[in-house]
Amino acid sequence: MSLTLAGREVVVERRPLPPLWVRAAAPTFSIGFGLLLGAVIIWATGQDPVLAYTEMVKKGFLGRLPLIGTLVIATPLILTGLAAVVSFRMKIWNIGAEGQLIMGAVISSGVGLWIGDRAGGLLGIVILLAAGAAAGALWAALAALPRAYLNTDEVISTLMLNFVALNIMNYLIFSSFSSWRNIERATFPSGRFIDEALRLPRLSGRLHVGLFIAAAAAAVLWWALRSTRWGFEVQVTGDSPRAARYAGMRVDRKILSVLLVSGALAGLAGGIEVGGVLHSLDPRALSQGVGFAGIVVAALARLSPMAVIPVAVFVASITNAGPGLQSIGVSSEVVLLLEGMIFLCLVAGEWFLRNTLRLQPAAGTRAAEAS
Amino acid sequence: MNESVILLSLVSAVGIGTPILLAGLGEMFTEHSGVMNLGIEGMMLGGGVVGFWVSVHHTSLPLAMAVGAAAGAVFALIHAFLAVTLRVNQIVSGLALVITGSGFAAYIGSLNDSALTYERPISAFEPVFGQGMRELPGVGPLIFGHNPVVYLSWVLVAAAAFWLFRTKWGLALRAVGEDPAAADAAGISVAATRYIYTMIGGAGAGFGGAYLLVGIFRNYQHNITAGLGWIAFALVIFAGWRPWRALVAAYIFGALRSLGFSLQIVGVDVPPDLLNVLPFVLTIAALIIITARPAAARRYSAPSALAVPYSRESR
Repeated sequence: MSLTLAGREVVVERRPLPPLWVRAAAPTFSIGFGLLLGAVIIWATGQDPVLAYTEMVKKGFLGRLPLIGTLVIATPLILTGLAAVVSFRMKIWNIGAEGQLIMGAVISSGVGLWIGDRAGGLLGIVILLAAGAAAGALWAALAALPRAYLNTDEVISTLMLNFVALNIMNYLIFSSFSSWRNIERATFPSGRFIDEALRLPRLSGRLHVGLFIAAAAAAVLWWALRSTRWGFEVQVTGDSPRAARYAGMRVDRKILSVLLVSGALAGLAGGIEVGGVLHSLDPRALSQGVGFAGIVVAALARLSPMAVIPVAVFVASITNAGPGLQSIGVSSEVVLLLEGMIFLCLVAGEWFLRNTLRLQPAAGTRAAEAS
Repeated sequence: MNESVILLSLVSAVGIGTPILLAGLGEMFTEHSGVMNLGIEGMMLGGGVVGFWVSVHHTSLPLAMAVGAAAGAVFALIHAFLAVTLRVNQIVSGLALVITGSGFAAYIGSLNDSALTYERPISAFEPVFGQGMRELPGVGPLIFGHNPVVYLSWVLVAAAAFWLFRTKWGLALRAVGEDPAAADAAGISVAATRYIYTMIGGAGAGFGGAYLLVGIFRNYQHNITAGLGWIAFALVIFAGWRPWRALVAAYIFGALRSLGFSLQIVGVDVPPDLLNVLPFVLTIAALIIITARPAAARRYSAPSALAVPYSRESR
């Protein structure tokens, strides 16, 4: 592709490793551009962008409560981000974190309600979270088995399973009298609460230990991808399944293990949401698109497990600022729009990391050839 | 089950099936060019809210629908730029578009001075045929009972089938989606083709979204599409990338949406959530059958270059 500009030809060149300043400048510029586009839209609808942004920084970051709110939102996002990282590393596109998270929440809340007050404390919490992770892995297995043994496209199957999970959750709370549902509140359907002893310990205000579990998961995944045989095989299989097969690696098992780990991470996110924040199966809170956002977070973290943490915190801070905007008369929904536009700009900005533009005098024949 | 209930469910299947069909037809064109756009839900919401906004301020329904389609195409242009020119991962770009489109709709719909939730479209779609034909026993309501958009969607299905499989432009389109390098060598511009058909896909989603809001629900609520965009995505796969099959599949999916209410009328209580699951389960099942049986795969296969970015250098 080439473009002629004022007698000069703009040449696109690929580059292997961009200089450090580009790696830092590209995302900064992209976020800035996204915010600028957002400002234009806010301004066009007759509201004050400067006021809105100042308020967002205040409500998202400054002070103890905003920071806690941001970190609580970031926790499941880190885990769904990691779920995408591990599968995308092998070029297996699990876009079913949304459904795996939901099934994790369904099963962990179910197990929690079944346990009741029979096992509290550490044991109970471990069972609760393990149930969530196992449920996420099993839900992913529904797509992983056909992918590994029949080569069924996992993009579509994992995507479709999201909506199956969503409707199962809605059924349990809204249109049945399942044991998840609080029968006493018939007019406004909601879930029954799990026992106090099964809730994740809180550190400060609403901040619970889930954040550390998520951070630990990032560290373990970073180590596993970097220093274990499994991580090496994942990388090789991702780069070239054929080479991996010649080297004697079991590609089908690798696909299976990667998707199960990915599903388990998303399911764990669901378990942590139930144990740490919601304490019940809450379909409204669990269908906010955390699974889909995790995929964008993973892409922006360039599939690096440790980078997922700051990216998730950044995204969470925008989400967290939403409700606070209402007080200054700016619609809180603007944060969704901002998030989407910043995502799009960041994705576009990635291109500049891999390519560089150069101006050179246009040579008629060469330009025609290269266009 | 009593006859009128069957007829009623079929008619409402056509009703809710039409926006799915419109968005699905658009996505089918996009995917035949080798671009996968997961952003349908966002484009339906984003295009739909713009079309709805026009319909509450202007009497012309065609104008509202056209503006909705154009808005959908603009959203798709973002995806085309990211996927075709910058060659970023199409899954990531499509999902970012879902967030942007639904965020846009939520923001526009919730602005204080124009709370669209309280507005209604000025005009309504009228049935095309006279009352006599609409009330013909048996097939009357099903064949003659619809508004212009439904008949337009039938024409569009026929036109899409003709365009895709009977014209040189359709051949060029499918060539780009099957083997972009060969298409390029034959003098077809891969980038231009993908841009055009990605935008056509967005126009279909925006048109479908506008029809949903202006023609069917006649109001705006937060996330009013409620997953119809994703059903449209499933539709393309379930229909094996073929327009006529998409027509049938859209009405099957539409029937599943309306079946719950119809069954309730006759006293069978099936939870709507469990019926909502079926389009997705059917699509997964179809997909597994396709991949497990090579004979079936020949008639249902996805475009070979679907979601694969093309660049001459990396040929």
